[in-house]
Amino acid sequence: MEELIEQLKKQIIEVLNLEDVTPADIENDAPLFGEGLGLDSIDALELIVMMEKEYGIKLKNPAEGKEIFKSINVMAQYVNEHRTK
Amino acid sequence: MNIRGTIKITPQAVVRDGQTLPTTKHGDALLTECYRNSHADYPKYFKMDGLCRLGFVASELLLMAQAEERFQPRDDRAVVLASCHGCLETDQRYETTIDDNDNYFPSPAVFVYTLPNIVTGEIAIRNKYLGESSMYLFEETTSEEERLQLLQILTFEDPMTTSALIGWLNYLDGEHYLAKLYLITNE
Repeated sequence: MEELIEQLKKQIIEVLNLEDVTPADIENDAPLFGEGLGLDSIDALELIVMMEKEYGIKLKNPAEGKEIFKSINVMAQYVNEHRTK
Repeated sequence: MNIRGTIKITPQAVVRDGQTLPTTKHGDALLTECYRNSHADYPKYFKMDGLCRLGFVASELLLMAQAEERFQPRDDRAVVLASCHGCLETDQRYETTIDDNDNYFPSPAVFVYTLPNIVTGEIAIRNKYLGESSMYLFEETTSEEERLQLLQILTFEDPMTTSALIGWLNYLDGEHYLAKLYLITNE
């Protein structure tokens, strides 16, 4: 799981162009949206695309993202349970 | 028309009000160097496409040299720019995300920049300008004088507008771009 968490952090930084952020800056339990990394609705859509592209997870309802992208820990747990690649 | 300030950015140099600013990079890296030197603290810069980065940096460098209070909402200032390539570079980049049926992952973050007037909106949002915000596409062969004259006329058709950021903003790729912006007033 630790490996997946690190991988997700690197992918989020790359996909969302978080230029001044390092994996160490992203706390595993901190919220990704709002006060956390300050991500916005376009970032949420980009993460949905990333989930499908990298892990074969198709989120049919964008509202699901609200729960799944709560934190890196929650996201990693979801990826671990639902990934098809 | 009174010109209060000018800025010109090419992949090689930045000239503000006739003075070359000290820089060490070129191309896209020059824009990011200017962004960092401006201390703008606007992380959204890194999400922008090339055209928006160019417009953002040019407007920042131009406006920060002005003796005026910034970031106060105002409806008397317009942002009216012109380009010949518009957002073509981003359109092409977006197409690469959708042109393969077996690798079809349209990027929302790229898609939002597939309109050339996004850059004038970005500048207006950053500076809290509530006036006219437009991007015109001109023929490449239009002379600089003609462009400026046309933009000036279009800008001050709105009676609310007393000052404006106008000029040329063209981004073909990281090695081929030009920003020439003016801050003008209708005095």
